[in-house]
Parts: sequence; structure tokens; C-alpha cells
Amino acid sequence: MQDLISIFVKSIFVENMVFAYFLGMCSFLAVSKSVKTATGLGIAVIFVLVVTLPVNYILYEYVLKPGALAWLDPSYANLDLSFLSFIIFIAVVASITQLVEMIVEKFTPGLYSSLGIFLPLIAVNCAILGGSLFMQERGYETLAQATTYALGSGIGWALAIISLAAIREKLKYSNVPKPLRGLGITFIMVGLMGLAFMSFMGIKL
Amino acid sequence: MDTNKNLYTIIYSTVLVVLVAVILAMAAYLLKDAQQRNISIETKQLVLRAVHLGEDATQLEADKAGYIEGEYAKYITDTTISEGGESLPLYICRIDSVQKYYIVPLHGAGLWGPIWGYIALKGDINTVYGAVFDHKGETPGLGAEIATPQFQAQFADKQIFDGDNFVSIGVIKGGAEKGNTHQVDAISGGTITSKALESMVKTCVGKYLEFFKSLKEDASQKLLLQSDSSAIASPITDSTAVSATAAEEVTSKK
Amino acid sequence: MDKKIYIDPLFRKNPVTVLVLGICSSLAVTVKVEPALVMALSVTIVTGFANLIMSLLRNTIPNRIRIIVQLVVVAMLVILVDQILKAYSYEVSKQLSVFVGLIITNCIIMGRIEAFALGNKPFPSLIDGLANGAGYGMILVIISVLRELFGSGTIYGFQIIPLSWYAKNGGFYYNNGLMILPPMALILIGLFIWVQRSFDKDLQEK
Repeated sequence: MQDLISIFVKSIFVENMVFAYFLGMCSFLAVSKSVKTATGLGIAVIFVLVVTLPVNYILYEYVLKPGALAWLDPSYANLDLSFLSFIIFIAVVASITQLVEMIVEKFTPGLYSSLGIFLPLIAVNCAILGGSLFMQERGYETLAQATTYALGSGIGWALAIISLAAIREKLKYSNVPKPLRGLGITFIMVGLMGLAFMSFMGIKL
Repeated sequence: MDTNKNLYTIIYSTVLVVLVAVILAMAAYLLKDAQQRNISIETKQLVLRAVHLGEDATQLEADKAGYIEGEYAKYITDTTISEGGESLPLYICRIDSVQKYYIVPLHGAGLWGPIWGYIALKGDINTVYGAVFDHKGETPGLGAEIATPQFQAQFADKQIFDGDNFVSIGVIKGGAEKGNTHQVDAISGGTITSKALESMVKTCVGKYLEFFKSLKEDASQKLLLQSDSSAIASPITDSTAVSATAAEEVTSKK
Repeated sequence: MDKKIYIDPLFRKNPVTVLVLGICSSLAVTVKVEPALVMALSVTIVTGFANLIMSLLRNTIPNRIRIIVQLVVVAMLVILVDQILKAYSYEVSKQLSVFVGLIITNCIIMGRIEAFALGNKPFPSLIDGLANGAGYGMILVIISVLRELFGSGTIYGFQIIPLSWYAKNGGFYYNNGLMILPPMALILIGLFIWVQRSFDKDLQEK
């Protein structure tokens, strides 16, 4: 239990997808102009992460990992399909985002129209694929750990994008040097927020 | 041609998937040997570094891999010992006929991911000759410091036994006591990794205790002095076939 | 051939600083020059070939599965790059770790396929892909040179700041630890955009 809490807190604050790894920056920069859309996208990312990561975890553990197919037949114990993991992960992510898009379109048309083209972008959102790849890289031991990691990193991503959107809303009223306006100041701001998040580094759980 | 028909779509995707699968499987098959050689070289280099060998390999641009393999073949013997039904890998290093080191592989879980290493014991099965550690993704500047020579150098000349009791080596937060031969300094800020490393050394070396005991008894009967390879032959199954599987085991565990 | 295809992506339409594509994954690899170079090269190759293949296939792809086909082709190329790196450049591939896989979701690749390769002949598509990859790689390498120089005192592993300058050797100099931390990559890009837009007033935002 303790390790789950530790994974959860770490994935939100210390190893924040945005501030520590720059994952999901594209939709992050494109959407985070108003808090409302940012919140919508944030929730969508949390949802997609929590759904895709366990699926990919199970696929990796029972199909892709070296020797993972041994449960089918002992003679498969030497089989190593891990070279297929990228393609399988992205296929799972793409099909699940498609599903989410259809659900959102059907039940909350308001949200769908405000998120516009950004929902399909989730399929190629690095934060989603990144979550699966980090899961593989770090070798989480149980499904619970992988799911906790998904939830934590999703919340961390949403937190980052919502707070950035809030700052950008305020920024409209500031007198920023002309060449720095828009993109430039946003980058610097994300950097400064990343520095602030680094203060969580020494956290011990 | 109408590219939006269902049949066309299905055939198209099937052909694409089969084609991609064939290309990838071929690439994986062709490159497998080179990849596995890289992994085995990495293991070998770590084993060598535990006994302070092959350290100039990083400056060697030309044939690093060949150099490591040569040195390894020259000094290191892979074996396995069986203990309680479990077979454990062990590396024995002979630099000349006098010096002989026992290298125990270590593996455990760090803060973010796996950590592993090798610890080399001198012929008295007590004093540490050298140790190396590596990690997958510990925090840079904090936990990742376990992979630095400065941290690893602390382990030299420490002792894992206090009299006859196995005490392992403590990684002490806030600094080891001066002159204590069973303690090293922890990494400041890397407490969790330090603790993980301490327990890794304790559990992994702990598995070999019975074997070490029998080695020591043999030594006290002065069998070791008479001939240095036959004395340890009893607890060790020293055959190339076994060594190969042992080496594989180590790499796969990583 | 219009030389805009290969000049623009380097400067006026640089994918990173102007089009804001593909910042996602790869800035985390700019602490040192070597992984950044390998990353830049990998992205350039993948973008080029993905563009080429998609341009060759552009008239045969069923529209409904267009995105999936793109993802499969890109993922295949990335897996090939990853396998080759693991076989011939193992040390670097360890440093890049998951970021090689993340090339798949690098927006530049999908962006260029959608914006260029699906509507143009194979050869210009290849050039367009390579040029965009290079424009991206250029930023990556510039950032990594700055970060490695000021953060570790080296460039591509060679010591640039004289060792005798360092405080521990009796000098006055300290490495700037901030440069090694991830946020610095973003701040550097921000400054880079500032410089570029000061010279090119058309790019400024209101």
C-alpha cells in the first residue's frame, strides 16, 4: 500500500509528465489558452491514461515480454516479442482514444465542440504513449502499481495544463516584449513552473 | 478505384499488418546477436570493474568490445553453486596463482526501477575487494550517485563478517562511523536508494553464506593452499555448459 | 524544385520555434550533445522515410483508416531505428531510453505527413521530411551544446572549460547546475524564440 501512495505522489509532483519530461507539450501549448478547455483535455487525458495503461500492462506482461508467452505453452518460453511493443502500445492507444472520442461526442456535445480537433490529437499525445513506455521501462510489478502510476501521472498532467492555462489567461494583461509574446513567454513560464515543481524532488515517502 | 469499400479496407489493412510484421521480425532476428553481445559486454565490463580490471576500456576507442571479452576470458570464470535446490551464479577471478576473488552478483529494486551490481570478496571471504553498482532510472545527482566510482570506492576493504556473524555492509545516512569496517556513507538526498542498496547487498550475499562457510572450512583444513582449483571443486560445478546458463541467467535477470 | 521546401523548415518555418511541433519528447535528451545528435538523426530519418512511404501510398489508402496506417508506418520505422541503435550504439540507446519510442508521437512526423506528403509526389516529400527533421535537430543540437557547455563544461564529451578554472582546482569557476535540470531546456527555447523573432518581425504575435 505504501508503495502505491509513493508511486501516486511521485508521479504527480516529482516525475511530472510535463515539467520533468516535457511530454504532451503540443496539445499542452495549443489548448492551454483558457482554463475551461484545459480542464476538459486534462480530464480526457487522465481517463485515457487510466484505461490504456492497464491494458498495455497486461499485454506486455502476458504477450510481449521475453518469455511472456510461456503460459500458453512452455515451448514459447524463449520467444521475445518485446520489439513489437511500440506498435502494439500505439495501436491500443489509438483505438481507445477513438472510443473516448465517440463517447464524448454522444454524451457531452458541448465539451466535444470546445475540444474540437484536440481529441484525436490525444492519440498522438506523447503523455499517453509515454505513460505506457515508462511503465515498461520501470517494470512495475503489479497491475495495481501500473494503474496507480497512470492515475497519478494523468492528474499531474492535468494539474500542469490547468495551472498553465490560468497563468496564460492573466498574462494577456501583461506587457511582454513583442518578440517574446505568445510562444516565447509560454516556454519560459513552463520552465519556471518546472523549477518550482523541482522543489518536490527531495520528497520522502 | 473506390478506396472506401469495406472489402478494400480490410484487405489493405491485412496486407499492411502482415508486411510490417514480416519486416520487423526480420530486423529483430538479424540484429539479435549484436544486441545480445552488447548486453553481455555490459555485464562483463561490470564484473571486471568489480575486481578493478578493464577500467581503461572507456578510453579505448577502437575495439572496446573485443578488449572486454579478452580480459574477461583471461581472468574470470563463470560458475554456479547449488544451494538449497537453487542454483546461484558466481564469478571467480584469478589474477595470478595467488590472488583469487569471489564475485557475487547483486540485484534489487531501487527507488524508481531495478538496481544491480557486483561485489568482489578477497580470498578470506570477508574483506571486500571492490564493488560496482548500476541502476536503470534513479534520480540524477541523488540516487544515481551509486553508479559513481566515488561511492563504490567506499566499499573496498570493508568486511562483511563480524567474527563469525554475517553483518553485511550498512549504508549509513549521515555518514559512517570512523573506522567501522561494516559501514559506508549513504548518499545525501538518496536515502531510499541507499537503503535499497544496503538490503540488496545483504540479501544477495546472504544467499551464499552456506557456500562461504564450506569454503572457509576447506580453507582452514588448508586444502586451499595445496591446490587452488581442486579444493573448491566440490561445492562448485565447474563446467562450460553450466557457466553459459549462469551467464544467461544474470543477463536475463537484469 | 522550389528551394523553399528545404530552406524554410530550417528557419522561417522551423517546426519547433515557429510551428510549435514536436517539442514533446525530445528536450529531455538535450543534457548532452551526443544523445541529442543521435536523436536528431533518428528523427530526421524517420520523418524523411515516413513522408516518402506515405507519399507513395497516398492514393491507395482508405480514408477511414488513414491515421492508423500512418501510425503503423511511423511505428515500424521507429522500431527499426530503435533496434539498430540497440545493436550498434548501445550506450546512447540506453541514455535515450523511452524517448526513442516517443518519436512515434512526435507531432512533426504526423504533421508533415498530413500537411505535405499526402498531397505531393514522393521526392519532394522525402526532401520536406528530411528538412523538417533537420530543422528540428538543429534546435535540439543548439540547446544541447549550450546545456552541456555551461552545465558540464564539455562539448560532445571534450573538456572545453579549462580544468584549472574550476573552484575545486583552485580556480573561480563552477558549473551551472541549473543547466542540467529539465526546465532549463524550455527556458533556453523561449530565449531562442525571442532572438529569432527580434530579427524576423513577421513572426511576432500580437
